[in-house]
Formats: sequence, structure tokens, C-alpha cells
Amino acid sequence: MLHTTRRMALAGVMALAALPCFAGSALAQGKTTISFAGVTFSEAGRGDRLREWVDKFNKSQDKIEVTTLGLPFATFANTMFTQMGGGGGPDLIRFDTIDFYAAVPAGRILPFDDHIKDSDFKFSAPNDYLKVNGKRYGVAFEISNYVMMYNPALLKDGKVPTTFDELLAVTKAATGNGNYGYAYRATMAERNGFWQDLCNYVFGFGGRWSDGKTLTLNAPKVIEGVTAYKRMYDSGAIPKGADAATYRRMFWESKVAIEIDNGGVAGIFNQQAPNLAWNAAPSPFPTRAQGLILAPLTVNANTKNKDAAFTFVKWALQPDNQKALQDILGASSVATDVPRSADDLAKKPWLKVYDEQTPNAVPQLVGGFEVRTPELQQIIIEQVLKVLQGGMDPKKAMDEAQDLAVAKMSK
Amino acid sequence: MPGLPLPIRLSAVLLLLAVAVFPFYWMFVTSLTPSSELFASTPRFWPTWSETGVYADAFRKIPVATWLLNSLIVAAGTTVLSIAISLFPAYSLSRFRFKGKGIMGLSLFATQMLPEAMLVVPLYALFGQFNMLNTLTALILANTAFTVPVVVWILKGAIDGVPEEIEEAAHIDGCSQVGIVWRIVLPLIAPTLAAASVIAFFHGWNEYVFAQTLVSSESLRTASVGLAGFVGELSTPIHTVMSIAVIYAVPAIVFYMFVQKYVVSGMTAGGVKG
Repeated sequence: MLHTTRRMALAGVMALAALPCFAGSALAQGKTTISFAGVTFSEAGRGDRLREWVDKFNKSQDKIEVTTLGLPFATFANTMFTQMGGGGGPDLIRFDTIDFYAAVPAGRILPFDDHIKDSDFKFSAPNDYLKVNGKRYGVAFEISNYVMMYNPALLKDGKVPTTFDELLAVTKAATGNGNYGYAYRATMAERNGFWQDLCNYVFGFGGRWSDGKTLTLNAPKVIEGVTAYKRMYDSGAIPKGADAATYRRMFWESKVAIEIDNGGVAGIFNQQAPNLAWNAAPSPFPTRAQGLILAPLTVNANTKNKDAAFTFVKWALQPDNQKALQDILGASSVATDVPRSADDLAKKPWLKVYDEQTPNAVPQLVGGFEVRTPELQQIIIEQVLKVLQGGMDPKKAMDEAQDLAVAKMSK
Repeated sequence: MPGLPLPIRLSAVLLLLAVAVFPFYWMFVTSLTPSSELFASTPRFWPTWSETGVYADAFRKIPVATWLLNSLIVAAGTTVLSIAISLFPAYSLSRFRFKGKGIMGLSLFATQMLPEAMLVVPLYALFGQFNMLNTLTALILANTAFTVPVVVWILKGAIDGVPEEIEEAAHIDGCSQVGIVWRIVLPLIAPTLAAASVIAFFHGWNEYVFAQTLVSSESLRTASVGLAGFVGELSTPIHTVMSIAVIYAVPAIVFYMFVQKYVVSGMTAGGVKG
């Protein structure tokens, strides 16, 4: 009896093990199926609506079907580059800017010029950053500005800071009883997010990572931005160690008073926490310059369905589909200029603040060294961590960063 | 420990138990904590039973059952294949003398020094050539490649402890070499087989890098990848993550409880020789 039971159990396990041999062989009936990967598809709130948007394309086609792949944010770029390096990967990919600039020189994504003509669409200005050596390698899937988001209920006397010193004072006053005045990223575990937040400080203080030809990592304005980042780190007003997903949730639960964040986050708060009374204002730095999220839609160079992939890109760029996409993305905008409706602007007053930031938006790239931004990012982040965690003097750290970066770029 | 008074021993055991169990308990409590209290300055130490709907939602709105089934297939497949492939090499290393035996044994260990991340690109290309991408079979094979060296060495240690005289007696009675392994050795090392199975099963159950890279279809997603998928760029649904993490942990805990008595005896097998 015991033997029979064991054999049956073993047979069951073997059968289960054999099952997957057949599990992956489903084919779409008579249609070319292409895949579209992006972290946005797995986001709460926006993910489902984006899938519905893609389904609109599927319903409009009788020969092409796009399947969406929502992958974890933390490992998205690694997974994409691993699959592409192995000769595969999804046909369409929504990259982050910095990964886009790693993919282009590696020949991982296709140029658009033979399929998408600039003259056929009213592309907004940030789309020009998606051209490398005169060739377009993507169109913006999402363009998002950074502004200061605040919860008036948590601010003493409702005072909204307009300078950095006021920001420090207001956030310190709002900290206590389990609440924090401010939140940002400052760990290597969130390297890209840390970079985005750091860029906001450096750009806001008037610094740039380069003048377009020469690196300026130790320029006085850059050091001012890094020093301000450190002052906030030491202020006691931030939940140290909390990752972005956690502190954004804390903001949503009225536990964080202020953060400087992008329009995608605004859209999520609006959809997931409609009762949260928050507002937006320009970031309280000496200049209005802030970072810009530019997430391009790209086509994998390994795709065997190039025409189908570009058919989808063309569909996505049609005015109605651009408007639908912009509505889903919150306070972000899309590849082409789509005006907001009066109704939308009335219901979401923060939209205007985000939109007005556009003239001052700067991509989080090192100008003139765009394709090498990932390497420079690593050097800068490591040096800034020495300032934050090791107490190194910001000037010394950025002088070292400059030397390391110049040496690296000369190779 | 045996010389210490019972209350002290009991306290030590309870302390260890608390340290081991508390993270799981905290995960469970967090999954049942109302949204408004998630970041309360005084944390809630008891679950709010009115919030149990998150578990129903996990099964109703999210394909958790499919993810768990996929994980089970991968873990079970990895276990069966690892044991099947490892048994005879372990027996050979234990019983036979042949040229290069030492190098072969060391080579098996050397494969353990290669991280998964380093092998994932060539494995992806290899499985692509065999049209095996996007199948759970690929995951089973990739995981098995990592568990076999460990399992071989565990089984070799156990086979070393089986007296050769028993095998000689079976041989005299006309049993073939394969029959000796199957009928004599295998039952004698059953506890060690259970221990090796646990290692292989947990490797397959928890594995993430291969599951994330080699499989793209959402219907073939394993629970480790499905769970990680909720940790988003802009937000993370904490209740969903915690409830699915609890659901994901339970089958593994049940499996371990089921085989733990064999594991303990397997771990100590061969400890006393004479």
C-alpha cells in the first residue's frame, strides 16, 4: 500500500514535471504576436489601464496582436539586457532614459528613421533627446516633470516653502509623532532613483554635470546642490532607508509632508488615493530647473517582427491614442503635444504646476556624454554616498568625482 | 545545554523560535493591518481579522494560484530530476576507483562557484536555440544544473556510510549492480534523499533570476517573479505583497514540516561509523 502511494506520488510529480514541455507552445491563431515590456504594466492603478490601451490596438488589428509584459522595476533593465544579449527579448520595450543610452551604442535597439518620419508627427521638444548621432532610436512613451508635492494638512500653518532654507525649516517642523517632513532616495539599492533626486537638487541649485563638452562635476553650483542634499540628509526630517515605493505610500497615508516627485506619481496618487488633499508647487530651489523623466518606446534589434512593431508605434502616435495614453499617465505627457482639457485642469489643479515646469525641465543625463551617462552616474553616486554616509567634504568628494570621471572618459 | 535547568533551556528555545518565526508573523500582521495604520508610530502587533479580504482578493484578482502551480512544477521537477541524475554519479564517486575521480569531484564543486547571473546569458541563448525559452522545462533544467553538484556530494556522503558487505551479499545472491543501487542502497539512504530533496525543492521554489529571464509569458510566471512584480517603480501595494508573500511561504513551510524528520536523520546519517 505504502509502495503504491509512493509510486502514485512519484508519477504525479513526474507528470507535473512533464506538463511544462507543452505549456509554452500556445500560438496566437493566425496573428503575428509581438510582446511589449515595461515596468509600467505592473504598476498599481496605471498598469491595468495601460493594458486596456494596448488592447485597443489589438481590437483594431486583424493580423497583429501585442501582448504586454509587466516586469519588476528593480530588475527590469538587467532582464532586458540579458535577454537581448542572448539574442531575444520582447519586440517593444519601454526603457528608462539611462538604459536607452546604454542600449543605443550596444546596438540593442533599432533606429526609427526608416519607419517613423519626424515630419509626420508633432513631436514635443524632449523627443530630440532620443536621437543619437542624428538618428532617432525611440519616441517618448512618457515625459514627466518634477515639482514639489505637499500635504497642506501636515505643514505648520499651511506654509508652503519657496526657498531651500524654508524647506529645511518646514520639513523639520513637520517631523514627529511618526510623521516625516520630507523623503527622497539616498541608497545604492535605488541607484536610478537616487540619481533622479540628486539631479533635481544639482539642477535646482544651477549646476549641470557638464557644459556640453567638458565635465563640470566639481563646479561650485554642483557642489552647492550636493551640499544641500547632505543638509537634508542630516536634517532628521527624512525616513532614512525607506525606499521610494514605501515613502510614496507614506505620503499617500499622510505620514510624509513633502516630496519632490514626478507626474507619474501624481497620477498614481490621484487614482489610488482620490481623497488625499495634496497640492503641488515649484521645487523650492534657487532656480526652476528640475530633472525630466523621459521614458522612450523602443524596438528591440532582435525582433523578428519589425513591421508589426513599427505598426504599433505608429498606432501609438495617432492623436486619439496619444490623448488616451496621456490621460492614463497622470501629470505626465506623451510623445506629441496633447493639450489638457479644461475639465481636467479644473479637477486637478496640480496638473498646471507640472505642465508649467516643462520649459525648465532638463533630462537627467550628462550633456555631451549621453551614452556614457551610466558610467558617470556610478562615479557620481559613489562619491555622493561618501558625503552622505561617510561625512566627506562635498567639494573634496566632487573633485575626486571629476578626476575619476575625466580619467574614465579619456579611455 | 543538557546541563542547564529546564526553564533556561525552554527560554532559549522560545527565543530562537521567536527570532525565526517573527518575520513571518510580522508579514502576516502587516497583510492584515488597515491601510491607515500601516505607518502608525505605534505598530500594531495583532492582526485585524476584518481585513482578511486581501487574501480572497489575491486569489480572485491576481493569478496567484497559477503562479504557485508553476512554482510547484518547477520545484518538483527540479527535485525529481536532481535526485535521478545525481544518484549514480554519487554511487560511482563513493564506490568505484577510476582515473580522474578526484578532479571530477572537485569539478562538481567548482560549478557551484559560478553565480547564476554569470550563466544566465549563455543559458538564455542555449535554450533559445533549442526553442525552449518560455517553458517551465527550461527552468527545471537550469535549476537542476545548479542543484546536482550539491545533491551528488550529499548522496555520496550517505552512500559512504552504507557497509559494502551488504552490497557484496546482494551481489552473491545475483543482484545486478543497478539492482544493488536501486534495491539495497536507495532504501538505506532514504533519509538523506529526503534532505537532498529539500535542498533541491527549495532551490526550485525560490529561484528568481532564471525564472525572470527565461520565461516571459505571464501564464508561466513563478510565484517569486509574480511577487517581485508588485514592487513597482512608483508604488508598491503593501497589503498585496504581504498577503501573497504569506501564501507563497506556506507551501514551502508545509513541505518542510512534512519531510523534516527525514531531513534531521539524513543530516546526521553517517555521523557515527563503526
